[in-house]
Amino acid sequence: MHTSHQLELYPKQTVTQLLFKGVKNSAELRKSAMEGKINAALINPKMIVDSFQVLVAANKAVHLQSIGKMKTRGLYSEIIFNLSPANNISEAFKRFGISDSDDSVLVVLVATDDESQVLADITEKVDGQQVPVAELPTLTDVMQIRKLYKVTPQEEKIGSLLDSVVCRMATKDVV
Amino acid sequence: MEPEESMAVSDFLIKGNLLKQGAEARVYRDTFLGKSTIIKERFPKKYRHPLLDEKLTHRRTVQEVRSIQRCRKAGIPTPVVHFVDYTSHCIFLEDIVDSVTVRDHIVSTQQRPHPGPTLEHLAPLAAKVGQIIAKMHDEDVVHGDLTTSNMLLRTSGYVVGDAAELSLVLIDFGLSYISALPEDKGVDLYVLEKAFLSTHPNTEALFQKLLKSYAASSKKSSAVIKKLDEVRLRGRKRSMVG
Repeated sequence: MHTSHQLELYPKQTVTQLLFKGVKNSAELRKSAMEGKINAALINPKMIVDSFQVLVAANKAVHLQSIGKMKTRGLYSEIIFNLSPANNISEAFKRFGISDSDDSVLVVLVATDDESQVLADITEKVDGQQVPVAELPTLTDVMQIRKLYKVTPQEEKIGSLLDSVVCRMATKDVV
Repeated sequence: MEPEESMAVSDFLIKGNLLKQGAEARVYRDTFLGKSTIIKERFPKKYRHPLLDEKLTHRRTVQEVRSIQRCRKAGIPTPVVHFVDYTSHCIFLEDIVDSVTVRDHIVSTQQRPHPGPTLEHLAPLAAKVGQIIAKMHDEDVVHGDLTTSNMLLRTSGYVVGDAAELSLVLIDFGLSYISALPEDKGVDLYVLEKAFLSTHPNTEALFQKLLKSYAASSKKSSAVIKKLDEVRLRGRKRSMVG
């Protein structure tokens, strides 16, 4: 159900993604995450084109953490911040984190060792149905993404929406 | 502290597949986040003062990333940036699979026996190159190192003689910068002319085709072409005498 990817640059770290639909306790989850009771990034899947987008954000977060240059307070908040095309942290949480009314959630974990226990813990906390991460594109709000990332029509002629989104995320600190 | 910062990336590159080494950077191909990726590493230049080296290298890395993003926004095909490490000065770029450099394409076309003149077969490509450079210059991006090796031609879905099917990708924005001056754009074209005609002998007519297409595609081409004529007379560098 979940997908895991070992980071090539940081082989000790593995990024795991879990997707849930029909989630009933979003408000509770968001609260626990903010209080630090859930050690994971809770992402609004509507703003995700492909799991690769999350990998790019997670890799950058782990990298910035390792060199001590994170912009936010934790690794998981940094992942959410990295997804955003802008440099406003609270805006990033509003758009890319889950909201109380959301009925789907993408859970992202970065683990150094055996993660099965952590996975079980998370799955238990989410009151919803776990579905394969491959179903992400069915939840994507393409119009909203185009608007938020300011993707131009001529840009979509030379590459996919994912290309445009990833390139903006990777270049946002210098553009 | 400093060397440790970039350990992850340099450890990774040691295992990577070195494709090319130039004076400015090394280029590797490796799998990154599950995709085939090109990594451009600007290594430290020992012959420069460390502080100056760090500043120059950093600025060039930033400049390259900026120009790529600016081009993509305007619909000019360039590789997608996946990740940038500003401590080891590495840019992780999309690998344009199934592509050849325009240089290799022209050379192989010239070598193949054809019924008609080779020029005819390459004319649509020259027109396309002119058109893309015009578009780039209209966005005020000056490439700085235009050569036929810095242009890739996607081979998948490529039909000979049909300009609409030509998919061209510009690469290596390492020397690029933003400028609206016709002078800078003229020099950009001059550099290409020099490189083009010396890499591909007897292609003067083909290059004329390219320039014609440039002039027809760009809104501000007349001033640039005028500058190009000036630059041809004096060379790339402006005379600083007087």
